[in-house]
Amino acid sequence: MLVIDEYLAVDVLLGDWPAALSDDDTLVLPTTRHFRLLQRVHNPGTRQLTGILDRLSATGRDSLRHPHPEVLQILDPRPLLDEAASIGARYRTGGLLMVETLAAGLAYGHQLWFGTQRNVGRRLAEIAAEFNITINLAGDI
Amino acid sequence: MEPVTIGEELLEERRRRRRAGDPRLTDADREILRRVTRGDLAEEFQAALDADLVNDPLLGGHDLDDDVA
Repeated sequence: MLVIDEYLAVDVLLGDWPAALSDDDTLVLPTTRHFRLLQRVHNPGTRQLTGILDRLSATGRDSLRHPHPEVLQILDPRPLLDEAASIGARYRTGGLLMVETLAAGLAYGHQLWFGTQRNVGRRLAEIAAEFNITINLAGDI
Repeated sequence: MEPVTIGEELLEERRRRRRAGDPRLTDADREILRRVTRGDLAEEFQAALDADLVNDPLLGGHDLDDDVA
């Protein structure tokens, strides 16, 4: 399994499969990152984002809400919660998105895949390095 | 030439389906989402993702040392 971020999730749903990602591996998106994508469906943000995302078809919205499991799976957060809480306590930080992502990286191959450097986060990168979790970039623009 | 087994053909078919993405997305949907994540609206998209963390302490976190017992 490869743990990916929101950008790569959208890329693969679109059919823009990054060359760096194996097409034999199952791609998984942490629940909190799926939640952020869902926020864009239900509460996009700026007026311009709202305007354009409101134009998605009903089936297009469904593909973000309930991704096709052959293309993208949403990680069950429950098995990751204990490790996530442990990381949060150890580094004196909350932030479910960050600690769940790190716990997922620990559980699945000590690697994380992001679609752009802007979405990595400085603190996440620092802690990932301490856990020997490799951060990979694919499809950066 | 090496013979291709049925298993290999099935695997290749699965790869093709996966690489094609989610068939529920229309061409117009794909154009919209490419603009949002990789095109002219990418900065706004990232800003909205960042805002989610700022606006939701459970999601974005805070320094636990700031907590009052």
